[in-house]
Amino acid sequence: MAEDIVDVLIIGAGASSAAAAWSLSDTKMRILCLEQGDWMNPSEYPSNNKYWQVNRNQFNQSPNGRKWDTDYPINEDDSAISVANFNGVGGGTVLYSGHFPRLKPSDFRANSLDGVADDWPIDYATLDPYFAQNDRNMGVSGLAGDPAIPYHEPPLPVVPIGKMGDTLGRGLNKLGWHWWPSDAAIITEDYEGREKCVNLGPCNYGCAQGAKSSVDIAYWPVNQRLGVELKTRCRVREITVDENDMATGAIYFDEDGVEHHQRAEVVIMACNGIGTPRLLLNSTSARFPDGLANRSGLVGKNLMFHPWGFVKGHFNEPLDSHLGPMGSCMLSQEFYESDPNRDFVRGYSLQFTRGSAAIDTAVNGTFGGDIPWGSGHHEAFEKYMGRDINANICCEDLPELCNTVTLDPTLVDSHGIPAPKITYRLSDNSKRMMHHAVGKATEALQAAGAFQIDAAGHTAGTGWHHMGTARMGKDPENSVVNEWGRSHDVKNLFIIDGSVFVTSGAVNPTTTIQALALYIADSMKKNLANLFD
Amino acid sequence: MADLITTDQLLTELQARTLDAVLDIIIPADEVRGMPSARDVDVMAYVSEVAEQRVDAIREELDSLNEESLKETNAAFADLSIADQQALTEQLKATERYFLVTTVLQTLNCYYQHDTVLTALGMKPGAPFPEGNEVPHGDLSLLDPVRARGKIYRE
Repeated sequence: MAEDIVDVLIIGAGASSAAAAWSLSDTKMRILCLEQGDWMNPSEYPSNNKYWQVNRNQFNQSPNGRKWDTDYPINEDDSAISVANFNGVGGGTVLYSGHFPRLKPSDFRANSLDGVADDWPIDYATLDPYFAQNDRNMGVSGLAGDPAIPYHEPPLPVVPIGKMGDTLGRGLNKLGWHWWPSDAAIITEDYEGREKCVNLGPCNYGCAQGAKSSVDIAYWPVNQRLGVELKTRCRVREITVDENDMATGAIYFDEDGVEHHQRAEVVIMACNGIGTPRLLLNSTSARFPDGLANRSGLVGKNLMFHPWGFVKGHFNEPLDSHLGPMGSCMLSQEFYESDPNRDFVRGYSLQFTRGSAAIDTAVNGTFGGDIPWGSGHHEAFEKYMGRDINANICCEDLPELCNTVTLDPTLVDSHGIPAPKITYRLSDNSKRMMHHAVGKATEALQAAGAFQIDAAGHTAGTGWHHMGTARMGKDPENSVVNEWGRSHDVKNLFIIDGSVFVTSGAVNPTTTIQALALYIADSMKKNLANLFD
Repeated sequence: MADLITTDQLLTELQARTLDAVLDIIIPADEVRGMPSARDVDVMAYVSEVAEQRVDAIREELDSLNEESLKETNAAFADLSIADQQALTEQLKATERYFLVTTVLQTLNCYYQHDTVLTALGMKPGAPFPEGNEVPHGDLSLLDPVRARGKIYRE
């Protein structure tokens, strides 16, 4: 029997994978995607249930807390930030909030502009058409004309900012600061067979409506109609190579635990900034004793999260702030670009998100001392319910060799595959930036009229964004993949997820990850004749 | 028979009386607002349906509260006057860091998902899907000064 060899093998079925598979499907190559998790069933998401407020806990964003059999454990003992992810068709987009800001032109030139980190080998203009294509494919809403980003027109109308948006906008106007309704991967009109957002609320525990553009909804059904094959519950153990340093495929376990070797002409890694270095480091051989595609020694190095902080404001007037897409209201990028008058380099975004639901209001208020037991309980609850606004602080994280993904010497997943270990600390620059941001978030909420500010500052359980662990660049000594995602060491191996980021910017990375994936796939198509040269 | 736990009862009679009393201390009724007492929302039925693994902790907390009451006042907690119940719980809250923590948490979880409570608060009871919620668009003319300031990003 002839050996089953696919043209393109993609590992992982998350944001980048879905976009690249869509782009490559017009080549009529045989494309197979292996995903370790399952398809999600939107009817099982919490907002289908009257107890949705507590059922959210089933969709814990920490794999170590969730412990599904499709998850792998992560040693976070030496990390100041713990990982949040999701393993299934859709990847992290299943549980993200759909907040969809792009990296800015200056993010690609941190070294030229500010003398830190490195410039990317590509620029914003290169990605611009791919951002736009991805916005159309995903279904992105927003308002054109944001002066903090090059002009672009989101295909769908902006998500309602509500009363809380008005209140906050007036406050930020008093300060003369930038603000703008967020681009959101949420459809605000019926779009491509999907029904529009009805403001269920808890987007980041799965969208029962299917209005949030997670890629299991927005991309994969289309990809499958275009002929892309997707196998779930297939966990890859290692990428195989031949004596010519060419990838030959992947060894994986199917849902019954049976080991297979899937042969492929091209392998694309799309396992996120932790899963990809984990798999490369697990793929050792005589030719690659330190892990596949790792002759630079940079696989797993330069791990970037976004140091994340929270400041909450409580307001006197009813804002109905508990209603609406949880993560999508507005953002301020007043402090995004470097300013030599500050004691840190680069900057941060303030992402203003909706307020707390009833239980969170009651529990936080009661245990925090704002809502008493007894006769004063109801009056105090009314004082806090629907009247809070959260300022999320998203700090740019600069690459540092000491922040790493390595293999844990003892921890393994359910298939016995070595698990990742995260070693990560906040830099002094990040700490100074966070301190500044907490002060500015407080100032913003006070200007908007908050009578009480709760500043939690940096919070550990916020490692949603995984970047930098297989960075792109032109120099093989200083990067893992070239300027279009191809491994310097293995000519038919590509990386398309957040691993390739050179710097992190100060925004949620998904739209940029997907634009990069579309750009890399397009580059592959343009170079098909000499793809492996 | 006070300590007998039958298959359809999660608490002994004494534990149930203690719970009823303390629920009224945590969240009493408010007739003006139309809010029920926490004792009227069947907390244990909720716990058995949604958080059964917390039953043991709640039993222990209720037993502990009752023991403290007997030690301090020589009477069961449920038999104290409301003023004495309030005084004792305030004293224990001040001295025991995790006093009734599971009971309070599950009570809040139950109460603020209960149809009667949410309706009284003017909120939609039940699952958010499929009806969803109305959110006003907001006043986007507030962005005029932001636009007027012009480009703020670097190339």
